[in-house]
Amino acid sequence: MTSSASNLASIIEHHPEHAIALIEGETSITFGELREQTAACRAALAALNVGPGSRIVLAAGNEVGFVVTALAALGLGAQVAPINPYSPAPEARRKLPPLNAELLVFGETAERLDDGGYDLPTISTGDLLAEGSAAGNPAPPPVAAVADDDVSFLLSTSGVSGVPKVAMLTHGGMAWVQQSLIGDGDQQLRPTDISLGVLPVAHILGLNIAVLATLRAGAAVVLQRRFDSQESLELIRRHGVTMVVGAPPMWHQWAAGAGAPESGTSDAMATVRFARSGAAALRPATVDRLERIYGVRVTQGYGLTETSAVVTTGRGADAPITSVGRALPDIALVLVDDNGAPVDVGDVGEVVIRTPGKFAGYLDDEVTTEMVLTDDGWFWTGDLGVLDDDGFLHLVDRVKNIVIVSGFNVYPAEVEDVILQFPGVRAAVVVGKAHGLTGETVSAHVAGDVNVDELDAWVRSQLSTYKCPTDYQWVDQVPQTPTGKTLRHGLRS
Amino acid sequence: MTSAAQFRFERAPSMPGSDATSRVVLGGLRGLIHRLWDVEATGLEHVPLNGPAIICPNHLSFCDSVFVPAVLPRRTWAIGKAEYMDSWKTKHLFPAMGMIPVDRSGGSKSMVALDAAAEVLDAGHLFLMYPEGTRSRSGNLHKGRTGAARLAMRCGAPIIPVGHSGTLEVQPPDQFKMTTGKKVTVNFGAPIHAADFGNPADPRVHRRMIDAVMFEIAKLSGQTYVNTYAGAKAEASDDVGTRPTAPDQTITVAPTRPAGRPKAMSPLIDLSNGGPSKTTAPTPPTRPRRLEGSAGD
Repeated sequence: MTSSASNLASIIEHHPEHAIALIEGETSITFGELREQTAACRAALAALNVGPGSRIVLAAGNEVGFVVTALAALGLGAQVAPINPYSPAPEARRKLPPLNAELLVFGETAERLDDGGYDLPTISTGDLLAEGSAAGNPAPPPVAAVADDDVSFLLSTSGVSGVPKVAMLTHGGMAWVQQSLIGDGDQQLRPTDISLGVLPVAHILGLNIAVLATLRAGAAVVLQRRFDSQESLELIRRHGVTMVVGAPPMWHQWAAGAGAPESGTSDAMATVRFARSGAAALRPATVDRLERIYGVRVTQGYGLTETSAVVTTGRGADAPITSVGRALPDIALVLVDDNGAPVDVGDVGEVVIRTPGKFAGYLDDEVTTEMVLTDDGWFWTGDLGVLDDDGFLHLVDRVKNIVIVSGFNVYPAEVEDVILQFPGVRAAVVVGKAHGLTGETVSAHVAGDVNVDELDAWVRSQLSTYKCPTDYQWVDQVPQTPTGKTLRHGLRS
Repeated sequence: MTSAAQFRFERAPSMPGSDATSRVVLGGLRGLIHRLWDVEATGLEHVPLNGPAIICPNHLSFCDSVFVPAVLPRRTWAIGKAEYMDSWKTKHLFPAMGMIPVDRSGGSKSMVALDAAAEVLDAGHLFLMYPEGTRSRSGNLHKGRTGAARLAMRCGAPIIPVGHSGTLEVQPPDQFKMTTGKKVTVNFGAPIHAADFGNPADPRVHRRMIDAVMFEIAKLSGQTYVNTYAGAKAEASDDVGTRPTAPDQTITVAPTRPAGRPKAMSPLIDLSNGGPSKTTAPTPPTRPRRLEGSAGD
């Protein structure tokens, strides 16, 4: 069944004409204006033959033009593939062929990329809007009807495995997560709320939660083009932001970076009622520090691009600080062992879920899709977790990161956590190394200025012998994604 | 070396087997054990002479429950099947040896057993439980169940890892009689404290602690560790019923592991002793469950 109400483009309909939808710099745009601009852009895209099943690449950051163009293309039944506008031109160029798009649209933030020499037609968001708004144009086409399982966005996954994949997200899956996140009761996202849109919109959390779920709720989004700790704090204070969705590196900066008070408290987040972290693990010490400074308790959630962002949230509930919360209602979550049998409560198992938010598969990659999405509807996350007696999920590590020493599982995340606690350590990655006697041993790559014997003594005081690194390698830095995930391929030997 | 002479029959009025008869029975039994077998113990200095501790040995033979307590300087208690109290052969002997009868026919037997164990520890006594949950048929040391770690955290009691050898020769599986004259060695390791593993509200801590215990047991017993549970899932445990059970929740369709997917959790170590094979067809989920509020869509 298809309907225009199923189209993600319709999330901006039905909100009051004069309610603020987007704030960027000194500009505020109401829902009425956003609908107008989106319709104009729809007309301009239709004139470029964008229609049902077409695909556009949108190289734009957290800017009004991104929202307008994306909603316009979706409104025509087209698919939108956002790419990072700040990536170097050669990298952006490499991403294009597999996406097989018909049009490349540059936002204001992608000026650097707009240097010609692309194999497909290009246009800027500004030109689209200007052409669509020109006098004498025919009435813009209405929002197209789509089916729930029609593809809406194509998002590159973090690629921590080293193999970049493009996840195809559906209108229905994205919408379901938005609605679940809007919630109800005390925790409901209301039209009076204001969200900080600082996570990149090319990342599922920035796109579907910080921006789209907020607009669906009729609330406003304050767009910040690039993360700057001090600027974020000023935006939060100035606009009375009530929802901050951030990744751990951002929360670390707000806790101890530019703009954070060196001691004492700050009222910069006085208006914040939802403080959420996702994409990677946030250290309990940082959560505590943020609560001390700003009086807000950051709750952690868990999800993947493939699940349209959210699987579990710590919202509202008295979630333990070490957990990522509970599964959203209507998500079935089990932890299973190697054979797919559910593990005992308290045991580590792979997180396997069935969610209405699941993706439609990886673009042009059935083999990888079948490895994670089974016919019976379960999505195998590749993440290991433990459930406590109250159903709160605690993440352990990725399945493929496990190091097996003398038959015992060693989870690198636990070892890295201990190493990172040592003063002077900036970053650490722990991988397995083949060993004739024990199968594997633990090998640590550490960045920082520390005495290895002292570090080793610290680690040994904290961990069982078999978990302790047998060798330390010094590196200048550990590669990470902007959302705080370690890129560990290449380190494993 | 140890001998029955160093043994102290500590007062425990609230515990079973504290009557005068039990004292005589236990004293006689310990003397007999040390005469009939060559029992050696090492690391006894790690066993506290006062206060609670959880004795966690590897489990190979039914008679482990005879030899481990026999070398301890104090009395120790453990959970046993209530049925033993119905037999004239065991109803005086087993309580004297520290068995706390628990009716295992009830619904939440693990909770009952856990509470009984906590009572022993809270009263400041030793409690014995096999972290593998049941005897190892492969001879390898199997994955530990988290019950002992939970108990350690709940009661603030240290875990004493114990690795022994020789009991399988005294009483192989399915043999009722114990063969005399054999040598049995029981090695005790340093206490492992729950406080060293972090916040007990974090469920990851239970696994960390019991894995650390199993690692020490493997060193003390010389066994190869395999990261799978001992015994079939459906098989009832011989011993403490403290294994956690899944909540009463069901999933309508269990996940099927995608074909061709690498299994990172498989142990690398070859199970040369005919241990459980990991290459068999996927086992259907035996304890399905799901989170509250999940739809059976």
